[in-house]
Amino acid sequence: MNDIKKRVASCFSNVFPGIQPEEIPTASTASLAAWDSLGHVRLLASIEEEFRLQLEMDDFDELISYPLIMAYLEKRSSNE
Amino acid sequence: MTLNEALALINKQPGDGSLNVYFLVCGCQSLHLATLLQAHLLKRLPRNQVQILTGFYGDFSGNLAKAAESNATSAAVVVEWSDIDPRLGLRSSGGWSAQATQDILATCRQRLAHFRNEVRKLGARMPVAWTGPTLPLPPIGNTIRAQKSVVELDLEQQLALFQLDIAQIPGVRVINPACGDQLSSSARLDARMELLAGFPYTIPAANALASCLVEVLHQPSPKKGLITDLDETLWAGIVGEVGPEGVSWHQEHHTQTHGLYQQMLGHLADCGVLVGACSKNELSTVQAALARTDLFFNPETLFPVYASWNSKSASVAETLRVWNINEDAVVFIDDNPMELSEVQRAFPGMTCLQFPGNQPAKGWNFLGDLADLFGKPLVLEEDRLRLASIRAAAELRDIGAQASSPEFLSSLQGVVTVSWRKDPSDKRPLELINKTNQFNLNGLRIGEGDWQRSLERPETVLAVISYQDKFGPLGKIAVLAGSQCGTVLRVSSWVMSCRAFSRRIEHHTLDALFQRFNVQDIHFTFAATERNQPLQEFFHALGVAPGPEGEACISRVYFKEHCGVLPHQVSSLTE
Repeated sequence: MNDIKKRVASCFSNVFPGIQPEEIPTASTASLAAWDSLGHVRLLASIEEEFRLQLEMDDFDELISYPLIMAYLEKRSSNE
Repeated sequence: MTLNEALALINKQPGDGSLNVYFLVCGCQSLHLATLLQAHLLKRLPRNQVQILTGFYGDFSGNLAKAAESNATSAAVVVEWSDIDPRLGLRSSGGWSAQATQDILATCRQRLAHFRNEVRKLGARMPVAWTGPTLPLPPIGNTIRAQKSVVELDLEQQLALFQLDIAQIPGVRVINPACGDQLSSSARLDARMELLAGFPYTIPAANALASCLVEVLHQPSPKKGLITDLDETLWAGIVGEVGPEGVSWHQEHHTQTHGLYQQMLGHLADCGVLVGACSKNELSTVQAALARTDLFFNPETLFPVYASWNSKSASVAETLRVWNINEDAVVFIDDNPMELSEVQRAFPGMTCLQFPGNQPAKGWNFLGDLADLFGKPLVLEEDRLRLASIRAAAELRDIGAQASSPEFLSSLQGVVTVSWRKDPSDKRPLELINKTNQFNLNGLRIGEGDWQRSLERPETVLAVISYQDKFGPLGKIAVLAGSQCGTVLRVSSWVMSCRAFSRRIEHHTLDALFQRFNVQDIHFTFAATERNQPLQEFFHALGVAPGPEGEACISRVYFKEHCGVLPHQVSSLTE
C-alpha cells in the first residue's frame, strides 16, 4: 500500500513538477490546473509504465483524481 | 529510455545552462514524443537547457511553416501517412472505396509537392531531421497483408521520390527509421492512444524515434583518417611468408571479408577520408602486393604507406605528422590485439579497432561501424581535394625552410579567392569552424541553426577563402566571420585548414579585410586553446599581443608596415 502511494506520488511529481507533496492526496482534474486533458494522458501513461499495466479506454474517463487512481491500483493489486 | 526516466531528466535540467530551442513538427499530438525528444536532447547536451516548440494538432503543413518562422535553431520533423491524407489514419471516416483511393493518391501528390516547398524554406533557416512514416498504412488495398497492393506501392513510390528530393536540400537529413529500432510497424502503433488522444505511437516507438532524431541532428564529428594494417587485415595471409601472389581477398578463397574491407576503404577515400597503411614488413614486399591489379580499390589512395620493422606506434606517429591531424580524429585498424594495445597506449585518444578476421557476420557489422565513424551529412568538394593537398603539403615540408621563402611562394602561382557571400546553403564554412583546431582564433564551436541565424543579420561579415596553386586546388580552406561596427571590424571566428599553412594566406586574408571594409582596426575575440598554437604563433610573428580579456587588435597602418610580402594573386566574389 505504502509502496503504491510512493510510486503514484512519484508519477504525479514527474508529470506535474510544480505540485507540492501535500497536494497530491487530494489532487484531481478539478483541483489541479496543470491536470488538463494532455496532462491526464501524460499522468496515466506514466502510471501505466510504472505499474506495467494497460488501462482500458473507459479507465481514462474514470481515473480523474488521486483517490480514484489509488483505489483502482489497490483493487488491481489485491486481485493479483 | 522510459517515459518516467524522461520526465525525471527534464525536471532536473539545469536552470542556468544556455537555452537550445528545437521545433518538433508533427501532425499528431506531440505528447510523449516531445517529452522523449527533450530528454534525449538533454542527455546529449547535459549542461544546456532544452525547449521544444510544437505546433497545432492536425496541421502538419501549417506547423512546417510555423517552424520556419520560429526562433528555433533545429527542427525535428515527423510525418505520418495521416498527415499526407487524413483518410490514411485511424481517426478519419472518409472511406477507402476504389474512388476514394484514387483520390488519396492524387491528394498525396499535391500534398507532398506542397510539403517540398515548406521543407525548402525550413531547411534554409535551420538543420532539419526528417522522418517519413513509421506507422502502417490502413488495409486500403485488395491484397492480404503479406502482399503489397498497388495502392500501397504507389504511395511508397511517391514518398520515396519526395524523400529523395528533400534529402538533396542542404541542411535536410532524412532519417532511416529502421536504424536502432527493431520494432515492426505494427508494434509502433498504439491504436488505443491514437483514438483516445491523437498520439499514435507506443512509448518504445516514440523513444526510438526521438533517439534517432537526436542522433541525426547532433552527429559526432566524423573521423578524418584511417590507418590500416595489411597482413590479415587488408588481405588474408602474411605477405612476407606467402609472397605478394599468395595473399587473398576473394570470394573463391573464402576471404571476401577482406575484399569487402578493401571496397569500404576505397569508398571512404572517395568521400575524403585519409587512408594510410602501417605494416611490419619489408617495403618492397608490400609494394609488390599493392601493385597487384586485382585489388578492390585504388592503392594510390593509400598515403602514406609505412612498411618497416619499427613499432606500429612509431609508424602511426609518422602518419599523423604527414597528415597533420590529431590522434582523436583517426581510427587505427589491426587484426592483432597486441599491436592494437601498443598503439592505443601511445595514442589514448585514437579509436583502435580489431579487424574481425574472416568472420562474415562480424565483418558486416564492422563495415557499419566504420560508416558511423566516418559518415557525414554531406560530402563537399574539399573532401575530394584533401588527399592531393596533403600530398602537396608533404612535398612542401620536404623542401624545408626554403618553402616559406618569398621567392618560393611567388613561384607557386597561387590564387587566393575571397568570397564575401553569406550563403546559408554552403555547409563548408561551418564545417571548417567546427572541426579546425590549430589555426583557430578561439576554439568556439557553433550550432548549425545559430550559424544560419547569424548569416541573416545584416551586420554579419563573412569571408570564405579558397586557394589554388600549381600543385592544384585546395578548395575552401579558411573562414573568417565577424561584424562591422563603424571603423572597427570585430572578428569572432577565424579558422584555416592546416593544409593551407605556410603560404601566407592568413596575411592575404587580413589585407583583403582592410581593403574591403576600409576599417582602421580589426579586433579579434581571441582565446588560447590547447591546440591553437599555429594561430598564436601567427599573432606573435605579426606583433599582435592579446590583452588579458583575450581581445587582440591590429590597426591598418601597423598591418601594412609589418605584413611583409603578399605573394599571391587575389580575387573577390561578392553577392
